[in-house]
Amino acid sequence: MKKPKNEDVSLDMTPMIDVVFQLIIFFVVTLKMSDDKDTTIKLADGKNGIVLTQEELPPSQLTIDVARSGRVSLSNVTLTDQMLAQKITERKNRYGAEFPCMIRADKYTRHKDIARVMNICAACGVWKLSFVAIQEHKAKK
Amino acid sequence: MARKEYDNPKAEMTPMIDVVFQLMIFFIVTIKQEDIFSKLNANRPAPNATPSAQTEENDTQIKIDVGPRGVIFNGRGMSLKDLDGNIRKLAASSTKSTVLVRCSLDSYHGTLVQVLDICNKHKMYNLSIFSM
Repeated sequence: MKKPKNEDVSLDMTPMIDVVFQLIIFFVVTLKMSDDKDTTIKLADGKNGIVLTQEELPPSQLTIDVARSGRVSLSNVTLTDQMLAQKITERKNRYGAEFPCMIRADKYTRHKDIARVMNICAACGVWKLSFVAIQEHKAKK
Repeated sequence: MARKEYDNPKAEMTPMIDVVFQLMIFFIVTIKQEDIFSKLNANRPAPNATPSAQTEENDTQIKIDVGPRGVIFNGRGMSLKDLDGNIRKLAASSTKSTVLVRCSLDSYHGTLVQVLDICNKHKMYNLSIFSM
């Protein structure tokens, strides 16, 4: 049996390593590592709302998550009413009362929990609120 | 310049293709498609304001009540499909009128979102939410 090819130690590995590194860098950069939202929330359908694009989500936006249990969180960190009021006031002082304030609540959340969040927003002077809904289902269930 | 490696047409491509296929399979399996989200805008008046306080100045108000069992419009419970028809008729005359959505505290948020969605569908963007 002739084995001359396998014993060739000077075989050029460079293109392979190049491609593999390119792929690894591409996926490391594009992969969103941590989920900074409450993943237990199942949103209601809202086919006629404004589609959320990157322009609809400026850095000034604030998304308040309200779980089915009534747990209020920002970036998956549970907040008390006082802490939420403080966060909203900080945003308002920085960007004015017109910053996009969005409530991302489960469809089976009772309205009393939403009302509590809305009352905190209104007490801080933020009247314009938006509710996040699903325009189109893409995720596998 | 030594070019004999590059000119060798039998250079081993198998490990590269193996690795690339492994990576492709890994990312195709792990990739998760996100839903497309939309937002529904609404106003929240001050906590102590009551729906009746504003009715004097503007009588072209549409009141929709949201309860735990569904929607009550014009004093009678109806399905979201019927509400859709009613709002379409009202929107045909004017889309400027204010829609007051009055939610009971034990109603579900999903119903409110669906009511807001119907209003958005018929281009009624003057929405206020009250809780009672």
